[in-house]
Amino acid sequence: MCFHANSLFKTYNMLKKSLFNGKINFSCMSRSQSSRRTGSMRPVNAAADGRKMRSIIAEDSEWSLELVPLLTTLCLQHIIKHFREKPILDELTPKYKAYVLQRLPTSLPLTITANLISDESYWKRCCEGRWAVSDVSTYDNSWKRMFFERHLENIIEFFIPDATDTKTVLDVVPLCRNYVKRLKVSQLLPPIRESPRFDEDDRSDCASDTGSEGPSMDHFDFRILLDKLPNLEELNVVYGVKGCGMNFEWNLFEFTFRDCEFLAKALHSCKTLQVFRIHRSKVDDEKCCLLVSQLLDHPSLQELDFSHNHISDRGARAIGKLLNRSQLKRLVVCNNQIRGPGAQALAHALSKNITLLSLNLRLNRIGDEGGQALAQALVKNKTLVNLHLGGNNMTEPTAVALSQALVENCTLKNLNLSNNKLGVDGGKVLEEGMSHNSSLVECDIRLTDVSQDSEYCITQALRTNQSQAARKNQTQT
Amino acid sequence: MLQPEPFAGEEADEPGPSVESKNQAERITARRLRIAARNETKTRQELGEDSQGKEDIQEETRKSQKEVEKSKRHMVKLQSDGLELVTNIQVAVDARESDRRTELEEACRLRRDKLENEAKSSQEKFEEITRKWTDAKMKQTPLDLRDAMNSQQQLCEQILGDKNKLISELQQELKASDDHYVKDLKRQAKDIDLLIERMEEQISSLKKSYREDLQQIENSFDEERRTLLTKHRKKWGHQMKEQSEKELRNMMQGLSLLEEHEDLLQKLRVWKAEEYNTDKIRMDTEVQNLRKKLQEVKFNCHLNEEKLDYKYEVLKKREEENAILKSHLKRKIIRMQDVLNNLKSKCASQEKQLKTEEQSLRNDYTRIKQQYIDMQKKARHFAALDAERFEKLWLINEDEVKALAHRVLETDRIIHEQQLGLAWVSPPLPFMERSGPIEHKTLRTASQAAADTLQEETRGDLVEESEGLGDTASGVNRRTVKRILELLCDELGFLVESKLLKLVSHLEKNDQSLIKLDAIFSAIGIESEKDVYTMAEFLMNYRQHEETTNNSDFIHHNDLLVALKEFTAQYCRPHGVQASQKSSVLGLIMRDDSEDAAHWESIANVIPESKLRLWSALDTAINKYHTVLTERAELLVETQNVQQQNTELRQLLHLYTTSKVTV
Repeated sequence: MCFHANSLFKTYNMLKKSLFNGKINFSCMSRSQSSRRTGSMRPVNAAADGRKMRSIIAEDSEWSLELVPLLTTLCLQHIIKHFREKPILDELTPKYKAYVLQRLPTSLPLTITANLISDESYWKRCCEGRWAVSDVSTYDNSWKRMFFERHLENIIEFFIPDATDTKTVLDVVPLCRNYVKRLKVSQLLPPIRESPRFDEDDRSDCASDTGSEGPSMDHFDFRILLDKLPNLEELNVVYGVKGCGMNFEWNLFEFTFRDCEFLAKALHSCKTLQVFRIHRSKVDDEKCCLLVSQLLDHPSLQELDFSHNHISDRGARAIGKLLNRSQLKRLVVCNNQIRGPGAQALAHALSKNITLLSLNLRLNRIGDEGGQALAQALVKNKTLVNLHLGGNNMTEPTAVALSQALVENCTLKNLNLSNNKLGVDGGKVLEEGMSHNSSLVECDIRLTDVSQDSEYCITQALRTNQSQAARKNQTQT
Repeated sequence: MLQPEPFAGEEADEPGPSVESKNQAERITARRLRIAARNETKTRQELGEDSQGKEDIQEETRKSQKEVEKSKRHMVKLQSDGLELVTNIQVAVDARESDRRTELEEACRLRRDKLENEAKSSQEKFEEITRKWTDAKMKQTPLDLRDAMNSQQQLCEQILGDKNKLISELQQELKASDDHYVKDLKRQAKDIDLLIERMEEQISSLKKSYREDLQQIENSFDEERRTLLTKHRKKWGHQMKEQSEKELRNMMQGLSLLEEHEDLLQKLRVWKAEEYNTDKIRMDTEVQNLRKKLQEVKFNCHLNEEKLDYKYEVLKKREEENAILKSHLKRKIIRMQDVLNNLKSKCASQEKQLKTEEQSLRNDYTRIKQQYIDMQKKARHFAALDAERFEKLWLINEDEVKALAHRVLETDRIIHEQQLGLAWVSPPLPFMERSGPIEHKTLRTASQAAADTLQEETRGDLVEESEGLGDTASGVNRRTVKRILELLCDELGFLVESKLLKLVSHLEKNDQSLIKLDAIFSAIGIESEKDVYTMAEFLMNYRQHEETTNNSDFIHHNDLLVALKEFTAQYCRPHGVQASQKSSVLGLIMRDDSEDAAHWESIANVIPESKLRLWSALDTAINKYHTVLTERAELLVETQNVQQQNTELRQLLHLYTTSKVTV
């Protein structure tokens, strides 16, 4: 009995609360109440006389008001159930809207939800339902952006030319065009040639031969997509296949000239692009020239990344030309085949440039010829902050030139010279240059055959520079 | 996959760059993370400071700050060390890769050399073979030929063997490089494992050290807080005690002061009560007096009230009247306003009407003026005509008269010669020689002369020629006269009446000056043309007098007035302007007929009085003679008649005498 009274008291409180919240709630509740109670107890006007409620003792021990769904909940559930046919969301009050959004199934077609729902929690559910790992912080903490970007990436990555209809991509475009800011395409599938699965062993050899000559080795054509995305700022592309395992064929990693042409035109049409990266795609001089020629005078491009390609001196010269005809701030050409002349061309561009902040030439073969040219360019340049020259076959003469540049230059902060055979003498020269420099904060001279003493001296100089910079930062803040 | 996750590591974590990446991005992110961590610790430290800062004393915060600084330094060192440890692998791999590349290049170069050498040697051998072919062709004997063939075959086999060897070498190299590749892959996998291991180690160690540091910092802060708390508590208690003592002292002081004041109050009360009694008595008398006064005042007040009521009534009535009057006046004003408006509109309309009228009148005036000019022209024409007719008439009459005179003279002569028998002497007859009307040399008026001179320009050369004669006569050049006149016109404007000027203002310039000159001349007293010329001459002379001083060719307008004054003094004449000459302004030449009567008289009196008397005597004598003659004639007739009667009667008698006989 005591328990019953207790539960009743609870219901009374609930009723009271709902009364204060809204009349509809009360009416629906009282109606449901009365319909349930008519058999067992006299009808009570709870609103009129709350005190009498206390004496009511329910005979049905199982019954509890919490089991009965509210009419509003029923309505909302109905809305959720038929959301596909009749999406009602913006008309609801914020409270019910949140309720509906919390319970909407993630399987709803994008055509309905894309432009209607802006609630993050819904898209969070979508993302979490679709991908196991999702880090929203790299997407400006926007789950919706993340969902659409990854959705579009997925579609492109599994797009097979000739086999997949371009409509599958174009259909998504109007839904996601406002939300996509970055595209990280980590693979592009080549078109399926006639029966590549059968007798793989026999044809694997000749496939690589014929594949390069075949007319239809082109990948996804970016022209149909890029000019339709008004907010696109970043594009990462790899012309290759991910995780091919034992099905490896050379022609899976082919970047044809026509691909390059399409890509270049697409880039030219996309005026909002700020970052463009193309990795591991066998970009050689010719393709590099083509890409660069379309990127000349691009209004917004700030970062260009040609890592892990086959660019050599001619491509480097083209990139050097681009440097002074754009607003590039970061340039990465690590792991290419740039030699002395190419580096000289880059250095020439650098000496006139006023925008570039970071230059990465890791794992090229620029040698002393290019190293000296770059050092001389550093004397004139007043903007470059980061320079990576690791693994470039440079020796003592470069160290001499660099130490001279360090005396004159006062903007460079990070310098990486690791994996260059500077030698003991080179280290000494560099040490002397460092003693006159006050801006360099980091200088990597590992594996450069520099003697311990000079390395220690250089790190000491760097320490003082660091503390100075920190002090300057503090005073500024 | 290259993209690191900058927020994954938080403050305690060693940055976790992705395993596959071996480029700078990893390092950059590591650095970025370190900075973030540093910032984090800094903010935390600041927060800690804030929470305690209110109570802390500077010295003690310095201690905790020191702790924080120490831990920060420690962490930075730890991080940089860890970073170096981790990136060492990457650098090593890079170094290996670059070594591999140099090796590869070297191997490539060697291979290329080898291939080139091989190609060269095989080329030589091939050339030898081809040379030997020509030798073989020269060979005659089959044995020799066989030998040659064998040797050729051997050479070919040698070449083939070389090539095969090379191929097998290359294949071996390929295999070796394949092995190398696999080995590399394995080593890289190992490296990556190592990298991951080191990173995890780093993370855990960093975590641990962070935690320790945090603990230490917290401890130091706790300690600081505790010491601070006890210190403050002590201070607080001390101050509380002081406060209570002070309050007690204050209370005692207050109590003593209270007693003093009570005494003082009592004294004051007594004194005041006495004062009060005396005052009360005085006041009572005053009250009575005042009551009396009040009665009086009330009476006066009542009186005044009634007076004022009456006045008020009067004023009210007046006000009413005033209101009525005001309304009357207002109405009147309105009416007047209406009238005024009406008058205004009427005035405006009238003005307009008058303007139109004036316009029409002006038009009329111009028209009439035109008509007048026409009339003048006509009159002049008619005058000319009249003059002509007059001249003709004159001539006819004169002829007639002359004929009559002639007859009379002839008669006189006949009378003298025949009747009187005297010698006849003809009287002097001057008019007989003359014919035509008597011409008078009329004097032109001054204004006419002026008009002529002024219009000289317009008339042109013809006039000038004709006037040339006049110039010599007057002795003054007409031009100078004209200039003088213009000067006069300009300078003596004050002589002209202002009304005239106003009237004249809309005329042509020439007319204007003419009229002005007229007025001026009449004022000065110049009437005839002659006068004008004399004046001009005088002025010229005057100028010549002054020439010594004034070099200009003409009289200076400043001197003009003086000169004129002199002139008027010399030549001034009493006014006797003939009214008849006024009409001459019109340009009509009136004939002077004063001498005409004498002329005619002289013609009529061609026979003198004595002769007339003679003639009358003669007439009477002749008349008498005539009567006698007529009487004689009558008598002659009578005698004739009587003679005739006599004859008749004789006849009758004869007849009668005859007849009586018969009977």
